[in-house]
Amino acid sequence: MISVSKLLCGLDAEGDGLRYDAGEESSKPQIRERKQRRPVVVWNCTKQCNLYCDHCYAAAKTEPATGELSTAEGKRFLDDLADFGAPVVLFSGGEPLARSDLVELVDHASDAGLRPVLSTNGTLLTEERARELREAGLQYAGVSVDGLRERNDEFRGQEGAFDRALAGIEASQAAGLKTGLRYTITRHNADDLEAIVDLLADRGVDRFCFYHLDYGGRGADIQDVDLTPQERREAVRRVCELTRDYHDRGHEIETLLVGNYADAAYFVEYARRELGTEQADRVLAYLRRNGGDPTGERVADVDYQGNVHLTQFWQGYALGNVRDRPFGEIWTDESNPLLRALRERESHLQGRCGACEYRDVCRGASRLRAIAASEDPFAPDPQCYLTDAERGLTDESAETVGTAD
Amino acid sequence: MTAPDGSAGASDAAEFERIDEPRGDRSREWELFVRESSEESLRHAGSVSAPTAAVAREQATTLFGFAAETLWLCPADETVRLVADDVTLGDRAEKYESETDGRGGPPELSHEGGTER
Repeated sequence: MISVSKLLCGLDAEGDGLRYDAGEESSKPQIRERKQRRPVVVWNCTKQCNLYCDHCYAAAKTEPATGELSTAEGKRFLDDLADFGAPVVLFSGGEPLARSDLVELVDHASDAGLRPVLSTNGTLLTEERARELREAGLQYAGVSVDGLRERNDEFRGQEGAFDRALAGIEASQAAGLKTGLRYTITRHNADDLEAIVDLLADRGVDRFCFYHLDYGGRGADIQDVDLTPQERREAVRRVCELTRDYHDRGHEIETLLVGNYADAAYFVEYARRELGTEQADRVLAYLRRNGGDPTGERVADVDYQGNVHLTQFWQGYALGNVRDRPFGEIWTDESNPLLRALRERESHLQGRCGACEYRDVCRGASRLRAIAASEDPFAPDPQCYLTDAERGLTDESAETVGTAD
Repeated sequence: MTAPDGSAGASDAAEFERIDEPRGDRSREWELFVRESSEESLRHAGSVSAPTAAVAREQATTLFGFAAETLWLCPADETVRLVADDVTLGDRAEKYESETDGRGGPPELSHEGGTER
């Protein structure tokens, strides 16, 4: 997760300490320093969802799935996360509001010292439910909307989903919850990007998270609607321009990009072109502290059955199961050669990623996309959109000619 | 109509095709064991989700081929797991519920029994 608004416009946020080890420099209250070395944990607390989205990485279903952690197991699991020092637990799904005990679990997480946040499709988020969640200690609700009405509803498999998501956003705001947008960019909805920000910014939403498509769950089945590298570069440029335009007009929205750390390198290059060398150097320094793609290190995922995954998108492989062993013991067990290699991946990356000048701030981006393209966890991410000149590759070392603006 | 043995009935044999694809996701979990060099023991290294042994083997090779000298895969639902009391999340949750409700003391320590995920 890279904050465009922080890097290009200097907007401080609560997550600066987590993302850039820059808590002391931020004007916002920070998540405690001791916890910054531990991963943010996404908990897909249910596989059930009332929608059936084309791109769902969790391959959620409308029917309840067997094997979900019980309320009691969920509470012990949250205690384990708190004991381990995880800073944040993101309740996700499926649709987490499909769990009737969600408020109880959020309350338990908050009491244990975790920062509970929510990822939801918003359609079940009533004002009463939002208020209960806020009172239980929920810190943030991210609501998924993937385009304007028609496109969103088609993508999410249900007519009316867009209007109900907007009602959920309003309910969340009315309950006093910090509320943001989650938006996965594909060819279907890239054109709606500015319009959706305008629509929601007018309604008081000030945090916008844009996700690149990763090839996990049903996301692996729709690679044909993923952006081409050139289209991706253009979409990221538009997010940069949009953010700066809002800030120039005095509306300090927070914008973030998730799921493709080629963005990190692009921001440095963009800053050098648009804002000058000094700003580009500052951006690069922040990104070095950020540490690049977080898979297996700064982000972890636990699915509805307790399986621990390297990232929420990588559900096909599990390191272990929290029903057998506490999360912290699984996460720190580096006898697993894949986990070990991912944590020292600069020395394993191959091809243009291994030779790239930006490998310390990108770290090869998505290993899941690399596997989908090349069946090799250390092959180049096929969705890198940098030019070879930006990668610093000579003609001899260049494998693929990148795209240019 | 399909006969119990899966073959089509005589009267409508031409109208039906055998469908081998599953109705939905039938992925099994496969426990994965890795040995990195001949001096080492096999170590448990997580699990992969795959509908068949062949796909599981392909996935395991993709993920661990760079490091493994030996890979073993066992269907998780055929694997018997034995753990001490109070180790599993379920046991610890039960103990906590019991203690917080004031209904009982520490559970007995024993070393038998399997668990289900």
